Amino acid sequence: MEEKELNINESLSIINSMINRAQNNLSDNSFYFIFWGWLVFSSALIHYCLLQLEVEKAYCVWLLMPLGGIVSFIYGARKKKKEKVKTYLGTYMTYLWGSLGISLLLVLFMMEKIGVTPVYSFLLIIYGIGTFVSGGMLRFKPLINGGLICFLLSVVSVFVDFDIQLLLIAAAILVSYIIPGHLLKAKFN
Amino acid sequence: MPLKELDPLLHSQLRLAIVSLLVSVEEAEFTYLKAETNATAGNLSVQLQKLKEAGYIEIEKSFKDNYPQTMCKITSKGLKAFDTYVKDIQHYLNLKTKK
Repeated sequence: MEEKELNINESLSIINSMINRAQNNLSDNSFYFIFWGWLVFSSALIHYCLLQLEVEKAYCVWLLMPLGGIVSFIYGARKKKKEKVKTYLGTYMTYLWGSLGISLLLVLFMMEKIGVTPVYSFLLIIYGIGTFVSGGMLRFKPLINGGLICFLLSVVSVFVDFDIQLLLIAAAILVSYIIPGHLLKAKFN
Repeated sequence: MPLKELDPLLHSQLRLAIVSLLVSVEEAEFTYLKAETNATAGNLSVQLQKLKEAGYIEIEKSFKDNYPQTMCKITSKGLKAFDTYVKDIQHYLNLKTKK
């Protein structure tokens, strides 16, 4: 781009094209939805099956989550290294998921006091906020709808037994993380 | 409004492109700006320096994996100047359509 005298139309066209270029720079966030989606989905189903088989300490399957945290962290750090531009959206996403991660840990911490049953309903609300807000920011309807389904399932979860709650978690994750995650990936490809 | 009254710092092809990119993102690397504007490194450096001297952008130099990294970010003064520039253009276009 060389220096030259500009007219008004050229000015407008530069502003327009540069803002469009910057907006098209949205990075593909689908990895987190797909990775966490499949991880939580399988853990909930495995937990459910182990409960049916009356295996002791079936909840130990959730120990996979910290492992998932490490994988996510490494992926995020590598991605950040390659990034040449920091977007407002990326920063908002970090704060959103950071606060949800902290809420999740706090709810799990409270489990001892408040019992297991309400915890899974709260988890569904937390999952729902994540996809609903992300969907709004990315203007991606499947995530918004997935979030709404999570909210609905959180209400249902109050009325069912714990093992059925696990199936609700799996269903919620399928419609709010796995399916929208794969759709988001397809959109970027 | 005559064109000469538009902010001369922004009324330049490359500087306007840089500022338009920077208003849309939080911060951007020199290499990103170079790729998006198709400018040469030398010309880009000169224009960035002019914008910095005017207080329109901030430039932060650091090292990333042993390579020098230059991050650019728009300042509130730069944002205000861009806003005024766009309003001036709108004003000029309105005058033109009324004629």
